Amino acid sequence: MRDESPIPLVFKVVAGLALLVLLLPLAIVVLAGLNAGDYLTFPPQGLSLRWVKAFLSSPVFLSAYFYSFLLALAATAISTVIGTLAALYLARSGSRAAAFLRGYFMLPIVLPGVVLGLSLYVFFTTTDIGLARTFTGLLICHVLVTSPFVIATVTASLVGFDVSLEEAARSLGASPWTAFRKVTLRIIAPGISAGCIFAFIVSFGQFETTLFLSVPNREPLPMAMYISLRYKFEPTAAAAGIFAIALVVISTIITSRLVSLRRVFRA
Amino acid sequence: MAIAETQAISSIRSGGSITEALGGFRLWWLVVPAFVLFLCFFVVPAVSLFAIAFDKSVPGVVTFAGNFTFDNFVRIFTRPLYYMAILRSIGIAAVVAACALVIGYPLAFVIAKTEHPGRNTFLMILVLSAMQLDTVIRMYGLMVLLGDSGLVNGALLASGLISKPLPLMYNTFGVVVGLVQVTLPFMVLSLIGIIKAIHPSLEEAARSLGATRAQAFWRVVLPLSMPGILAGSLLVFALSISSYVVPALMGGWKVMVLPIHIYQQIAETGRWQFGAAIAVVLFLTSLLAVFIYHKAAARTAGGRT
Amino acid sequence: MKNWIKGVAPTRRGFLKGSAGALALGSGVNLFNINHAFSQDVVYDGTVFDAGGATLRIAEWGGFWEEIIRKELLDQFEKDFNCKIAYESSFPWFPKFVAGGPQKPPFAVVNWNYGEMFKTAAAGDFFVPLDEVLANLPNAKLIWPFATENGVGVTWSYSRYCYAYRIDLVDPKPADFKTFWEEKFAGKRGTYITSNGLQMDFFIAACKLFGKDQYDLEAGYEAMRKAMPMKISDFTGNMQALLERGEVELAVQHDAEVYQQMDKGVKVAPMLWEEVKPILTQTKTVSRYIEPTEKKLAYALINRTLETKLQSVMGSTFYQRPVNRDVVITENLASKGVTNTADAIAGYWTPDWKSYNEHEEDIVETVNGIFAG
Repeated sequence: MRDESPIPLVFKVVAGLALLVLLLPLAIVVLAGLNAGDYLTFPPQGLSLRWVKAFLSSPVFLSAYFYSFLLALAATAISTVIGTLAALYLARSGSRAAAFLRGYFMLPIVLPGVVLGLSLYVFFTTTDIGLARTFTGLLICHVLVTSPFVIATVTASLVGFDVSLEEAARSLGASPWTAFRKVTLRIIAPGISAGCIFAFIVSFGQFETTLFLSVPNREPLPMAMYISLRYKFEPTAAAAGIFAIALVVISTIITSRLVSLRRVFRA
Repeated sequence: MAIAETQAISSIRSGGSITEALGGFRLWWLVVPAFVLFLCFFVVPAVSLFAIAFDKSVPGVVTFAGNFTFDNFVRIFTRPLYYMAILRSIGIAAVVAACALVIGYPLAFVIAKTEHPGRNTFLMILVLSAMQLDTVIRMYGLMVLLGDSGLVNGALLASGLISKPLPLMYNTFGVVVGLVQVTLPFMVLSLIGIIKAIHPSLEEAARSLGATRAQAFWRVVLPLSMPGILAGSLLVFALSISSYVVPALMGGWKVMVLPIHIYQQIAETGRWQFGAAIAVVLFLTSLLAVFIYHKAAARTAGGRT
Repeated sequence: MKNWIKGVAPTRRGFLKGSAGALALGSGVNLFNINHAFSQDVVYDGTVFDAGGATLRIAEWGGFWEEIIRKELLDQFEKDFNCKIAYESSFPWFPKFVAGGPQKPPFAVVNWNYGEMFKTAAAGDFFVPLDEVLANLPNAKLIWPFATENGVGVTWSYSRYCYAYRIDLVDPKPADFKTFWEEKFAGKRGTYITSNGLQMDFFIAACKLFGKDQYDLEAGYEAMRKAMPMKISDFTGNMQALLERGEVELAVQHDAEVYQQMDKGVKVAPMLWEEVKPILTQTKTVSRYIEPTEKKLAYALINRTLETKLQSVMGSTFYQRPVNRDVVITENLASKGVTNTADAIAGYWTPDWKSYNEHEEDIVETVNGIFAG
């Protein structure tokens, strides 16, 4: 209709403010990571790649970075599968059990990470099931804290999904699996990929739960950064932050390229 | 596009047809893996830890000894240090949820309505990057901004607007800013999908019936965003009330919230029974708050959703 | 051995008694063997031996500290003794010890600050008695007596408590411990949260200097009240940043960090406490109920940390002071006036941590209340 932007001006202004809140601390950290001085300080005393190099040549930081990456990848894969399955049930079942379970799956977020980590640690130790301070034990904890995000986003993307579409596909001769794959999965794909990103980021940044569950010789990145900030305010941690951001930037670009390529092919 | 339309207008159906659609596969089987995992590794450990809250408080003892007592809870509700922390935790989490909604909704709206793929990806990257950066070091960034000799105070002092630095952190304000910074992406991401799913034709229809732009927003767009608003605020509330790192760093130990007490009792004094009791209180408090919010939101949403 | 079996029963009481019992039964044979081994005496004579690929579980600080310790000590140690080090840096250690009980220690060698170490020692029979440890450390004869006076572990590196102050903002320079309470530092002085060892020492020192003795908690509380408003930090790293930005002009610190900051060009200097001389220690314990090979490795590792080589490295990289009498102070510390002589180390004071830990609940609650304002 009228020639106006689809976005009201006041929204643009507030959105700008929101971006400012999100990005100012980010900009400070990035600049601090490119600091030429000896110290994590702001404004930086000249720019250099000195601390980026320090990060790249630090065995502790670098291995922590890859360890966190691997852990987040594994946690994301598991929580995406079990979370999507659970969400399919939650969105389609009208039973009271489903209403109850919706709350049930949100519980790990409500409990402070310290308590969750400690309760798991005590559980692992007292039952002697051999999971205390192992990769599997840590992974279980990460799946617990990432699944709620997958379940929430996929359930949300299923709200409004009309089951008759899947039925229509079936009546046109598709097998249940094909109908699911071609219709349902395609529609909830954005929800799943959002859930994946959520899960990955939440796992990558887990700090409080990790305090009790971390594995010897394997320090996740948030832990390494915290310890290094705790004892010496060195820009290496900020440089590590730059690489963490790079990870998200790259994966988002790749995902969006993939999605738009798919669009091109479909068109 | 047709799918999106159907998606926005239609509602979920439930019941037996799905069972059939899945070829005799029982629907509830889908939820079993997640349910069992949560039961074994969340419910059992958490309940076991909660159980010791009803034990006599002895340092360094971590398993249930069977000395049943309510002393730990009595202590919480008779000492202002603790019961004030309950109210403070709820208050801060509620304020953070409200702030995140007010500034997060417009940002989500802008991202949802930005159709240019490159620009859209760029905005998403900005939000996700902010989320990805480690919380502890992000708080460092905020300290540089909000500290007594931080950039904000520095600018204000230099411009002569103030003569003494404003207390922007090491207080409740600082904690709220920190938590909003941390939780905002969660709010935005909860909203984008829902706003995208609202088809523009609905707003146009309202406009063509004579509604002003503002009316169309308040009467049509906002009510249709309710599921996202609800999910986002609950998520932000839960993340805020259980956060330890942000109040610890931004509050300068002057804003004592429940997770700080829990951490101290567990990691420092070794009184796990008392720490567990505070955790029980925190857990029940947030469940209650979530429940009330749900009921209230359902009522205000009325028949619209 | 009898003790061990008796000891294990109460720790297993608890929520999952049934399943825990079943699991323990499954690994019963193995447990018995380990137990049997406990009764063997372990003797270490200072020589290098082949551990046959055994693992030594240690807990020590992470980050840059870990990097240096690995590079300067552990890598070579692994090669020499044919063993693997499992290094854990996720503090705190105390909950991990009590969660498993004395018979299932999570680590063999742990690096502590005093407060947490004494708390753990008080919570159970976790550590090898210090006399027994010292009997197996040939290098123990090289170290100053204060390093083992705590009665629980072997201190191998330390720094002195002090105030850090901004030389450009504080004039005249602080004179003594009580300078901290001067009116001009209101809102510009800094200390730490109650779980930080620096605050614990600061509090006990305040009790002693403002009250009758170190047990005069009321005097300590009053001192904390009078020091408000002040900045409360969680860790020293954060305090360094506050000092560097000038938000704090006078802060409780230990001298190693101040020297580091000085050499990075930050305008700070230390004012060492002289009325009482507490030290911030790095102290190692050996866990009691571990296998003999691991225990022998534990002794070997601690023995090496006392050698002059590592002690010098700690000085040049972390500005830490040595406990080994023979260590020549490195230039970076010598230029700050640090020496390693009998005079210099005289009069170091260790607070009564047992008493502190007994009153910790009240102290934490009260001081939290004061800090929260």
